[in-house]
Amino acid sequence: MIFEKILSPGKKERKVTDNMRRHIQLLCAACDLFRTAMEKDDRNLMRDVIDLEREGDSIRREIISLIYEGAFLPYLRPDLCRYVEIVDNVFDVLGDTAPYYLDGKIPEQIKSECIRIAYFNSKICEMLLITFEAMLKGDDLREKTLAIRIYEKKIDDIKFSLIRDIHKIPISNFWDGKILSEFISGISAISDIIEEASDHLQIINVSMK
Amino acid sequence: MWKVLSSVFLGWSLGANNFANIFGTGVATGAIKYGTAMFLSVVFVLFGALLEGPKCMKIVGELSTLLTIEAFYCLLASGITMTILTYLAIPTSTSQAIIGAIVGAGILSGSADFSKLFKIIICWLVTPIGAIVLAYFLHRSLRYVLDKTITNITYLNYLYSTGIILAGCYSAYTLGSNNVATVTGVYVGSGFLSAGMASLIGGLSIALGVITYGKKVMITVGKEIAPLDPFSALVTILATAFTLHIFTQIGVPVSSSQAIVGAVVGVGIVGGLRTVSAKVVTKITVGWFMTPLSAGILTVLFIKLLV
Repeated sequence: MIFEKILSPGKKERKVTDNMRRHIQLLCAACDLFRTAMEKDDRNLMRDVIDLEREGDSIRREIISLIYEGAFLPYLRPDLCRYVEIVDNVFDVLGDTAPYYLDGKIPEQIKSECIRIAYFNSKICEMLLITFEAMLKGDDLREKTLAIRIYEKKIDDIKFSLIRDIHKIPISNFWDGKILSEFISGISAISDIIEEASDHLQIINVSMK
Repeated sequence: MWKVLSSVFLGWSLGANNFANIFGTGVATGAIKYGTAMFLSVVFVLFGALLEGPKCMKIVGELSTLLTIEAFYCLLASGITMTILTYLAIPTSTSQAIIGAIVGAGILSGSADFSKLFKIIICWLVTPIGAIVLAYFLHRSLRYVLDKTITNITYLNYLYSTGIILAGCYSAYTLGSNNVATVTGVYVGSGFLSAGMASLIGGLSIALGVITYGKKVMITVGKEIAPLDPFSALVTILATAFTLHIFTQIGVPVSSSQAIVGAVVGVGIVGGLRTVSAKVVTKITVGWFMTPLSAGILTVLFIKLLV
């Protein structure tokens, strides 16, 4: 075991980082699919988002078991696992929000704003991938995390405008209103979780120095 | 040959107590499993004892001219002193105990060489200070080099985990080479053992201590070890090992416990932390006086009453 560690440097660690990369790439694909589904009002595409959430779960389990099979120093493992769980939370929110789109109907008055939020969610995921790659190389992450915070701020601004606009929309029954409310909460929470993930990447980056 | 039992007892005690100093930080960081650390420690302590152990035996043998039975009581007194002071939670050093015991016996017989003692005391004082300085500069320079060359997280992880293992092996080697003289050097001085045989017996007894009692001490000591990041753990072990190795070349056995305390302080200073507490300094200073004094008095009593 010790000779394997010394003579095969980084084999297990590379598997973990490759899977983590796959995980975020899948997240980017899921956010992009979500946005496209909303733009085209394609319910089948929205169902595919739920399938991607399950695939994300499977990758998460693989990463965590690889980590605890001996990849990386035990010092780093909790932070890495925590990061993977945070990214998985985004999948969970996407997977929970997609059914609200399928069950309800987004009023035309706010549809464009919702699509804008979905667009920025897609962008913020791409930024997270860039930040992750930079973290692996040991680069300075400050500019990248700043970009994520800027995106998150933009989404928050749209969200506040959306909340104001919703008040003007008549709701015919409680459940229509609840589904709409949950949908908006869901799509606007994604950027907050991704911001948390980027903060955690910074922690991992600093802890190795 | 039964007389070597006292040195085996002292060596066992040294091995059990100092194993945590070699690989404690490595095991705490998770870079190495306990069983692997134990195996590597045994191998490299033996290497160190056999290859460079005789270097420090000369000064131990020249402190005073002792009969073999007097040497036996010196070792016995040192072992008992170590046990009592450890029980009282006063930091002890095997090398300080044996030196105190030999000087005590030498004063009784009128053969003590105080010029050699002066050199040894200077080395004791310099050990923690030297370790602080070494650890500080090692941390700064290695950090600078790594920031310019290796930043990839996977490569850094490999460097730290392999580095801690290799540094631990080096540390075990220097423990064997520097401290075996405290265990059996007095028998070389009295002519009872050759340097080679003394190195072998001393090395084996230290290894025995590592195998049989090292884990218990490591668990106790480990609770008091401040959690270090992998890089700091690597620097701490390296600085301790370098310090011991330098004093091996000088030919004076010193305390590995005080070296590692100094190394941890040195690493703490880099981060601007206040790792030096008045309580710790007081404890170490008390240990410096009490250990050789207690061992010396006990030796005098044994020789007066039993020889």
